[in-house]
Amino acid sequence: MAADLGVLNDDLQEKVKSSRILVVGAGGIGCELLKNLVLTGFKDIEVIDLDTIDVSNLNRQFLFRKEHVGKSKAQVARESALKFNPDGKIKAYHDSVMSTEYDTEFFKQFDVVLNALDNRAARNHVNRMCLAADKPLVESGTAGYLGQVTVIKKGLTECYECQPKPHQKTFPGCTIRNTPSEPIHCIVWAKHLFNQLFGEADPDEDVSPDTEDPELAGDAGKQALQSEAKEDTVGGIERKSTRIWAQETGYDPMKIFNKLFRDDIHYLLSMESLWKKRRPPEPLDFDSLPNTGGSSDNMNLIHDQRIWSVQECADIFKQSVDLLKSELQKQGDAGILVWDKDEPAAMDFVTAAANIRAYIFGIPIKSRFDIKSMAGNIIPAIATTNAIIAGLLVMEALKILSGNINDCRTVYLNRHPNSRKKLLVPCMLDPPNPKCYVCSSKPEVTVKVNTTSMTVKSLEDKVIKGQFGLVAPDVELDDGKGTIIISSEEGETEENAAKPLSFFGIKNGSRIKCDDFLQEYNLNITLLHVDKLEEEKEFEVVGDVSEVQARAAEASAAAAAAATTVSSFTPSNTAPDNSASNNGQGQKIDDEDDLEIIEDEEEEMIVETSAISRKRKADEVEEPASKKARKLNSEQVNEDDDAIVVL
Amino acid sequence: MSGEKESLDKTRKYDRQLRLWGDHGQCALESAKVCLINATATGTEILKNLILPGVGSFTIVDGKKVTGEDVGNNFFLDKDKIGESRAQVATDLLLELNEDVTGNFMEESPELLLERNPEFFDTFTIVVAVDLPERVLHKLSGHLWEKDIPLMVVRAYGLIGSIRLVAREHTVIESHPDNAHEDLRLDRPFPGLTQYCDSLDLSTMKKKDHSHTPWLVIIFKYLQIWKEQHGGAAPKNYKEKNEFKKLIQQGVLRNEEGVPEVEENFDEAINNVNVSLVPTSIPSAVQNIFNDSECVNLQPESKPFWILARAVKDFVESVGEGALPLRGTIPDMTADSERYIQLQQVYRQQAAVEAEWVANRVQQLLQSLGKSKDTITEADVKLFCRNASFLRVLQYRSIAQEYDPATAKIGELVGNIEESDEDDAIWYILLRAVDKFYADFNRYPGVYDDQVEADIPKLKTCLAKLLHEYGNVYNIKDDFVHEMCRYGAAEIHSVASFLGGVAAQEAIKIITGQFVPMNNTYIYNAMKQTSVTVEL
Repeated sequence: MAADLGVLNDDLQEKVKSSRILVVGAGGIGCELLKNLVLTGFKDIEVIDLDTIDVSNLNRQFLFRKEHVGKSKAQVARESALKFNPDGKIKAYHDSVMSTEYDTEFFKQFDVVLNALDNRAARNHVNRMCLAADKPLVESGTAGYLGQVTVIKKGLTECYECQPKPHQKTFPGCTIRNTPSEPIHCIVWAKHLFNQLFGEADPDEDVSPDTEDPELAGDAGKQALQSEAKEDTVGGIERKSTRIWAQETGYDPMKIFNKLFRDDIHYLLSMESLWKKRRPPEPLDFDSLPNTGGSSDNMNLIHDQRIWSVQECADIFKQSVDLLKSELQKQGDAGILVWDKDEPAAMDFVTAAANIRAYIFGIPIKSRFDIKSMAGNIIPAIATTNAIIAGLLVMEALKILSGNINDCRTVYLNRHPNSRKKLLVPCMLDPPNPKCYVCSSKPEVTVKVNTTSMTVKSLEDKVIKGQFGLVAPDVELDDGKGTIIISSEEGETEENAAKPLSFFGIKNGSRIKCDDFLQEYNLNITLLHVDKLEEEKEFEVVGDVSEVQARAAEASAAAAAAATTVSSFTPSNTAPDNSASNNGQGQKIDDEDDLEIIEDEEEEMIVETSAISRKRKADEVEEPASKKARKLNSEQVNEDDDAIVVL
Repeated sequence: MSGEKESLDKTRKYDRQLRLWGDHGQCALESAKVCLINATATGTEILKNLILPGVGSFTIVDGKKVTGEDVGNNFFLDKDKIGESRAQVATDLLLELNEDVTGNFMEESPELLLERNPEFFDTFTIVVAVDLPERVLHKLSGHLWEKDIPLMVVRAYGLIGSIRLVAREHTVIESHPDNAHEDLRLDRPFPGLTQYCDSLDLSTMKKKDHSHTPWLVIIFKYLQIWKEQHGGAAPKNYKEKNEFKKLIQQGVLRNEEGVPEVEENFDEAINNVNVSLVPTSIPSAVQNIFNDSECVNLQPESKPFWILARAVKDFVESVGEGALPLRGTIPDMTADSERYIQLQQVYRQQAAVEAEWVANRVQQLLQSLGKSKDTITEADVKLFCRNASFLRVLQYRSIAQEYDPATAKIGELVGNIEESDEDDAIWYILLRAVDKFYADFNRYPGVYDDQVEADIPKLKTCLAKLLHEYGNVYNIKDDFVHEMCRYGAAEIHSVASFLGGVAAQEAIKIITGQFVPMNNTYIYNAMKQTSVTVEL
């Protein structure tokens, strides 16, 4: 240890020994990070992670073994790290960092907070907690061969939310239910179907034909409604939930197949106006399936990478329904299954159902391997990238502790040395965005909604929590009286939940004040009334988001023009060009900026990708137009060329 | 049954990486034998990152005993084991990482082993050496160069890291380029494609079929029309391509009122005009491979890569009529499943026919070289043909060439430093200077706290001598020398962790033969979080 710390000056050596460090996340980066911290001489480390260990973690999360599968990541990581190095003091929390126990007082105990997270919600939250506690935060992320580390300090640098990130795109319900046109639409539908049949049914995830499709305006809609009445008497399917119907048929795979892929499709065909400009779907009957669609010359490929024929899909559909049915029965009456991409029957079911639906709608069929990527939002992950990023993370933390936060950088890890022979691209930290709705002094945003149809509950769940990341908001009207419409105290404002905003006098131009006591964060929202938003959106943030989108478009245009930039994010052989999140909310990813949205229960992900696009563009693109920007950037990077930073 | 279960477990365990290098990449990794020389922190970090993804086996060669200092920065050495064999302790702890990996150790100094039994090293897929004095490095690299075994030399020295890769020749079939053009042959359609497109008639199609005709077919059709109008020539310049786009636009169906319908497939066709009109050609890197004497003059000891390359070259020069074998894949597009699959089949079948020609040629070549038929399988041929435009061959310089003043590139390196005012490459020279120091004093500068100051002038002398050998190429600031002495050859764990990641990744590239490894030296500066790749 002595030799190790010798390189650091005495002052920093002391700081390393006495500092308290919080590590948020004990996954791929977290395991490497804990090891690095212990071996750098840190003595007082706390680690928090909500997750438990899965088999697919073992190829990189080296503190875990086969026998640990199912146990708490934080606790096993602590035990393993201590076993190797018993001198350290590590405290583990198997808990969500977003829970109210971890308030600003908790965060204030630490000298530096290190993020090794895998999702944006938690990153947003830790960002706010560190701003509130005024503690430096080192943020990190990896995806395949790519990675990033950055430093966030209140008042000095951009915060995690200074550059708003493009929001996850969700698909309109009617695209999923009535008019799919891409494989991802069918995959999202199949995951919804899984939940309808075996899991926790969500009314937003209906899989039956949608008679409220806006395209069915006028007579066509009426016709469809009439035919619905007819269908009802035949199958008795529309008035019951899919679940109850399936239970009544005893989960007979053939009946389920024929309802979904024959009767429902016939029903869709009756909505004629949908098919005026589209290729109409072709219903399938379980007993007379075409034996096409498969790839015959790929028999030597493993099962997962082969394209199944329709007949094979139907067979696998049948098998998986039988398996899932018996799984469900084991759980008793109120049992539910949770969809898991690593559960073979669940994955088989989604592959088969998605492909059968794709075939019906004339959409290319995908292999199980590809569908797994898309359905499970799988980000490739390997030990090497995590090791690199964790090494960089500790170096940045050391600079902070030595009081040299100005020497900190945002560092991007490329897939291979770029055209300038650089594997790493360090960039100066940007100053805070004065318009940031999180770290500016008086955060303000404007949101368009339909005040007569949006309920208080939707406002809370989708806008205040979903969009703006508050976790325990109190919301009052800025009406001079301070009417409280949402309280963080459970049950206090429950009666308001189902009422529309207009009930409280909210109209075009009304302001509401949101206060999150945990994040010590206040946000004022001005609501603008609109009757209808495009693509069935329930709300739209004015200003920042459109700027972001414009920037993202610019970046992707640059990426398309230059070979070296964002396109290099995608491993070329297995690029997940689309993705659907685990909670069933579909999201689509354009391959130019796929990292921007990949985010889920999966492994670590890139931190702030709109910034990556910007900075990479500035740093790497070999287009004349951006030469100026690049020069600017390299000057920034090199300005301290002569100064050797003594750590 | 248990075999099946095992493979299922592996598929799940390795799922996240299979998405990067595929089953065959995993297979190559699982049959690789890696040798690590010296179980320092950097050494064990590299092995950890190879063991986790499932390398076949590893062997640690290390004659040293575990010290207190080792335990302080190496996760895979235990306090209780101080005084025991470092090779053995590290092997035991590393083996806990992955039950599918086997590990061995050889408790002997690498130098002695190299003298006593150099053949020991001959069976490895790659040798990774850390903390090796220059003298031993020369012996080892000379031996491995002769035996054609790749060597990776990794070093964590204070806040500086370096990786040097040596391989006589490294061939890459799957280089996974970031942006690959599709191989669609619209400029020179093969008979099957022409036949298929001719079987479709846009003018008689109803709306549903018309708007679900794959864009490939649309471009094919309109290209024929264009060529008839332009004396058989395709659109050449920007202006003509725009006119061609307009021509396609005019083909969009109109409703009864004469208003164009929305046809996504036509939009796609227009968007794909430019890429589709890029003439089919052979990339220069591939052309160079064909012209290489290893390709032209096959020997019985030629590697499969060169036999395959030769067969493809022969294909290009005969039935291929100047083009590489067809890749056989088409991108996703708006189309009904039926015709999409038909079109896919058209490409696949042609690719299969061409690959078969190559496979036959490979068999002829194998026979004429007196080699066994199964040296190269049909699957190998298919993979090779699919990647024919992405083939890469890297020839590395040897350590001897790097060090010999007659062939060294230090001058060039320094020239680049001065031009770009990026100084990371200077650390390479400093690392060479401390090696000289070690050769003179049998220790590194600054390793004893009380001698840091005294070592500074000594290191300056070493540096001056070194630079003199290479023709006084550069004047290095004293700051660098001071910094180097301050490091005292310490190995900082975070630097080791970083290098462990980068080096293991390069080793995986070498082992799997996928992706293009760096050529040939990588320097990392942990102070500034910068790095550079240079060829030395």
